[in-house]
Amino acid sequence: MKCKKCGGKASVNMRQHRMALCKEHFIEWIPEQTERFIKKYNMFTREEKVLVAVSGGKDSLALWDILTRLGYKADGLYLGLGIDGGVNYSDESHRLTAEFAEKNGLTLHTVNIEKEYGYSIPVLSDISYRGHGKPCSVCGLAKRHEMNRIARDLGYDVLATGHNLDDEAAVLFGNTLQWSSDYLLRQRPVLPEKDGLARKVKPLCRFYEREMTAYSIARGIEYIYDECPFADGATQVFYKETLNQLENTRPGIKLTFYLRFLDARQSGNLFIEKDAVQAHIHPCAKCGQPTSAPDLCSFCRMIEKANTTTG
Amino acid sequence: MPVKLILRTNEYEVKAGMALLDALKKCNIIPESVIATREGELITEDEILKDGEVIKLVAVISGG
Repeated sequence: MKCKKCGGKASVNMRQHRMALCKEHFIEWIPEQTERFIKKYNMFTREEKVLVAVSGGKDSLALWDILTRLGYKADGLYLGLGIDGGVNYSDESHRLTAEFAEKNGLTLHTVNIEKEYGYSIPVLSDISYRGHGKPCSVCGLAKRHEMNRIARDLGYDVLATGHNLDDEAAVLFGNTLQWSSDYLLRQRPVLPEKDGLARKVKPLCRFYEREMTAYSIARGIEYIYDECPFADGATQVFYKETLNQLENTRPGIKLTFYLRFLDARQSGNLFIEKDAVQAHIHPCAKCGQPTSAPDLCSFCRMIEKANTTTG
Repeated sequence: MPVKLILRTNEYEVKAGMALLDALKKCNIIPESVIATREGELITEDEILKDGEVIKLVAVISGG
């Protein structure tokens, strides 16, 4: 297989684009395309301060690498979740993130959930009874809360996450299976800043997970290869595997699934949005972050419940 | 000598002279779910596997 750009030996074949590239052209093509997506979806400008949520995984480290190569002002945020799983998962992912930052001379903010609130994510999950025995929903809630808080506290214009197309397609697949119209209408590459919520962007949303893996390997980025110990059997992983089986026989089907959804959503033809008054958003009585709940936001209620339970 | 494919803790053996794509199919591995490397370098699925070599397959799915 030959590189489409130089005719040399190809390293990565992207069947959905009917294009193979050599290593050198592939690691140039990824930032070029990222720049195109940033502009297409009006994600942010070179003057704005970007906070990249980095987990130590391939996607977020690749995103930080790409934004830095493109010359954006991008700092990192690592959230210590206190997940061990017999493989020192959080410690190892923090080590890899910190090493990446140091090697590239980048600024990394680290927040440890346990030090901040008194409980690691698995403990908080046990105490709060959220998520039916799996800490994933508590983890997601805590990450959203903390990422927003820190982005605003530290004065960043935008919060960037490393969600790739497979992540987006899996969420879309799940929400379509259940016709969760509220969630479907919320899914997009950019969530604008409003009512105390920082702008959130997903610059990698059009790259396959396979491409981000190839990019990380080609760039020599050392990332945490072990899955989160709690990911085993996760619904999102099952959806990704299912979509990959479809992709295997119909190259490009994941990309089409996601892009046609964005088109339909943009055109307003997907669902008729309700004229009903939006839920009232107001500051949480404790942390001040926006919430539609009557008094405290979901996160603060969870922490209060945990504090009450543990006395 | 057979070719060894390694994916996380699993090892598979296939005959030399096969294309990587055929080897993956033979091992029931979805090509879309892995990236293959030979001595740390990325290779495409049309690559012919050589006698006695070890191909490391990197799983691409992460999540939870």
